[in-house]
Amino acid sequence: MIEINATIIAQVLNFLILVVILRAVAYKPVVNMLKAREDKIAESIDKADADRAAAAAALRQNQEKLAAAQRKAQEIIDKAEKLAREEHETSIQETKREIEQMKKAAQEEIQRERARAVEQLRGEVVALSMAAAGKIITKNIDAADNEALIGEFIEKLDKEKIGDLPC
Amino acid sequence: MHEIGVREVVHFAGLTFNWETLVMTWITMAIVILIAVLATRSLKMVPSGWQNVVEMVITGLHSQIDVTMGKRGRMLAPLIITLFLFLLISNWLGLVPTMASPTNDLNTTLGLALLIIVMVHFLGLYFKGGHYIAHFFQPVPVFVIINAIEEVAKPITLAFRLFGNILAGEILIIILLKLMPIWMPIPSVIWLAFSIFIGGVQAFIFTMLSMAYLSNAVKDEHEE
Repeated sequence: MIEINATIIAQVLNFLILVVILRAVAYKPVVNMLKAREDKIAESIDKADADRAAAAAALRQNQEKLAAAQRKAQEIIDKAEKLAREEHETSIQETKREIEQMKKAAQEEIQRERARAVEQLRGEVVALSMAAAGKIITKNIDAADNEALIGEFIEKLDKEKIGDLPC
Repeated sequence: MHEIGVREVVHFAGLTFNWETLVMTWITMAIVILIAVLATRSLKMVPSGWQNVVEMVITGLHSQIDVTMGKRGRMLAPLIITLFLFLLISNWLGLVPTMASPTNDLNTTLGLALLIIVMVHFLGLYFKGGHYIAHFFQPVPVFVIINAIEEVAKPITLAFRLFGNILAGEILIIILLKLMPIWMPIPSVIWLAFSIFIGGVQAFIFTMLSMAYLSNAVKDEHEE
């Protein structure tokens, strides 16, 4: 019933063959796969870290760029505002000056008109005075005295009454 | 069914072989290889289904080997996996009608046990050299007697434990079938279920003890 014979050698060989086959067929692929996955995971983690660092750097760079752009934009706006203000200022000055000029021109015009009116009035007054004097005095005075009298009268008129001449 | 204890033998090149044991061993090997191939057929980077189980078994075994044997133990992992699968299928094969376990033959179990023990001593000498021989004489030289008995007992206990359990289980299956009327199969079924359990447990024990013996030889004391 219990006898040891050459089967023991065969069984050991059988088992060793099985070990070799299983190692080649099943064990190695699984272990290789596990190793490959381990490597891949490590690589992925490394890559993720690198990506995160790169993303952070890019973000910082972008923020710096944005800040610079904002600063520049502000500068441009300030400059434009300043320019506009200056232009506004100069245009106001210009307008004021024009107004001033126009005012002066108008005053000169008024002055001229008034002078002309005075001249006209004087001529009329002379004619009227001549007529009046002629009527009052008639033959009493000769022409020379007459002229002197009229001149004096007109001088008086000029000096005293011309401002608020009752017309 | 065969008669208990009588083995069909073939003679080849002047050597005697138990023919049934060999055939059953080859069937077992075929089943084990088939299982291994099916389990690892389509390995993917992202595991699913059976691949998870296979990976869990292998990583679990690796971690246990790392703890008990250290770095050198990894090369023994295929041997241990194969040992367990082979014994498990062997033990269960005898429960199939008209089949017999290869492990109900002392030649198989003693062969495996001797293989393990020879490996233990060989690896011990290879990795530790004189230190390995010296540890048989510790703490005092007289202990060499006890140590020698222990070393001799290791393969014998390994072999006979497995052999006895499996052979007894198969004998009892046959006896129960003969004793019980055909309409009363309950004891036989219960014993069959128990034999499945026994087969698993014995395969596990044999593998674990082999690992323990191997770890003694392979483990590097300075590593700790």
